[in-house]
Amino acid sequence: MKKAMYQIFEIAHLTFSDAIRNRISYGVFVFLIIIITTSIALASVTMGRTELMILDLGLGAISILGNLMAIVITIQTLQQEKENRTLYVLITRLDGRWKYLLGKFCGLAAVLGLQIIAMCALLALSILPFGDIYWLSFIQASIATVIEIWLVIAIAMLFAQSSSLFLAILFTVSVDITGRFTSVIQQFGEQASSTALRGLTETMFYILPNLEAVNLRNGAGYIESFPAAQFANVIMYGASEIAFLLFIGMIIFERRNLS
Amino acid sequence: MTALLTVESLCFSVATGHVFQGSKTILDHVSFQVPRGAATAYLGPNGAGKTSTFRILCGLAAAASGSIHFDGQSVEAGLPPARFGFMPEQPYFYKNLSPNELLQGLGKLSGLDKQSLTPRIAEWAEKLEFSDILQQKLSTCSKGQVQRVGLAQALMHQPDFILLDEPLSGLDPLGRECVRKIIQAEVKRGATVLFSSHVLADAEAMCENVIVLNDGQIVFSGKTNSLLNTEENWIIRARWADDQQPALGTADIGSTDICTTEVGTADIQRDADDTWRITGNTEQQRNQIIHQILQSSHSQLISVEPERRTLEQAFVELLRGKNS
Repeated sequence: MKKAMYQIFEIAHLTFSDAIRNRISYGVFVFLIIIITTSIALASVTMGRTELMILDLGLGAISILGNLMAIVITIQTLQQEKENRTLYVLITRLDGRWKYLLGKFCGLAAVLGLQIIAMCALLALSILPFGDIYWLSFIQASIATVIEIWLVIAIAMLFAQSSSLFLAILFTVSVDITGRFTSVIQQFGEQASSTALRGLTETMFYILPNLEAVNLRNGAGYIESFPAAQFANVIMYGASEIAFLLFIGMIIFERRNLS
Repeated sequence: MTALLTVESLCFSVATGHVFQGSKTILDHVSFQVPRGAATAYLGPNGAGKTSTFRILCGLAAAASGSIHFDGQSVEAGLPPARFGFMPEQPYFYKNLSPNELLQGLGKLSGLDKQSLTPRIAEWAEKLEFSDILQQKLSTCSKGQVQRVGLAQALMHQPDFILLDEPLSGLDPLGRECVRKIIQAEVKRGATVLFSSHVLADAEAMCENVIVLNDGQIVFSGKTNSLLNTEENWIIRARWADDQQPALGTADIGSTDICTTEVGTADIQRDADDTWRITGNTEQQRNQIIHQILQSSHSQLISVEPERRTLEQAFVELLRGKNS
């Protein structure tokens, strides 16, 4: 067990060291600064609470950018390792391919988690001069965004290790988008008269990861804090969905012939 | 010499990608042995199935049928990680890391402790002549330099069995010489090396054993010498005193370069060092010529040896023979 943990840590360490220096990360930071600057400029010419407007725009931008980064970096990293045969020298050192996938997830989760935290800190710094918000709910929403991004990494990993670059991007983006409307799909099914359609929408609701279930951005900064049960639900749902996706990914990856 | 690795009746197919065409056979009942403590070349034309065999040995792909035994133990999902080192063909690795960072990470994955890693990496970097790029980003290194880093990662944990897929491709002549020496040193250490290569001259210089694969089937497996030595052809080298013409049978050296003895004709020609090279293909004729040279007071026998082909010639003949 100790050896397995050590090997997972080493894979995560290699992944982190490489991904943190990926140029996409720096580009995204520049983009975020532009967005925050624009929102400050916009807020200064509008009536109302400027700090809340910056907060809403900023959290939305972080989520969108975080999702894009998670999809691009995860798929790019896994596909490149396949093409460059780095995957081979890693896997031949392990006595179980699952360690590679888990290590990869931990490394990418650390990189992107750190970047989301840094972006949220940057957003907080840009809000401070304009006024006060409820910081606890902001922190809770930031943590939920990190979990959302980790969930997207797990989705991207599932597709990146089992399909081509194009298909991996297509499937991940599709699941990412539909994952925000799973409740709508379920409601649509409930209203349908066809039993088959109801069954289909019900199945889709349970199979697709519900990315809205880990979204606490609505209300962040406006209310003092989210109820503990709601916040715990976000964490529990996120953790169990990530574990499920990784488990499925590991089963596929263990049996796959690598070319 | 006992075998460290025994592969028996290995079969492997891949999906062609066409729904109605099914699959394509890559390896068709491939069987061979890799002798312990020696270098073995795994040769074959492009698409013969060399890399697929290596992938199966590494556990990256599963064979449809057949068995692999490593050191007497049956292997199901790849060779034991602690006992073998693998270098894939033209590896690229993490472009944002330095060779030092990469080797540190891979060394730890192989179970090497932190204290011994730094001097070990420095030692291999020196041996493989990439000390100057040890702290440089891999994206800025040349293909040959990355190739050397790839070789270092396969060897630095001192495995019993070393599997190298095209270790000499992408290297300049100096790099090839360096890698050849490293492989020979590893064999001297007691390691068993199996490598694929298209540079047959290097394989000939390094390997005691050769396995030749064509169209997914083994066409030769055995000692390199037995592939290079032709069965019946021989070469006799001799020198005649005072620049005399060879007195062999009814030789008419000047016009035909053929000497005729009682049992047939043999080719004869003068080499640059004033020795004469006589080549023929019957044992009786060979013995008669040797006898004549030894009997004459004007001639001196230098050597008698079987005629050798280069590995490249043998390889081409083997594959052409198989294809025809």
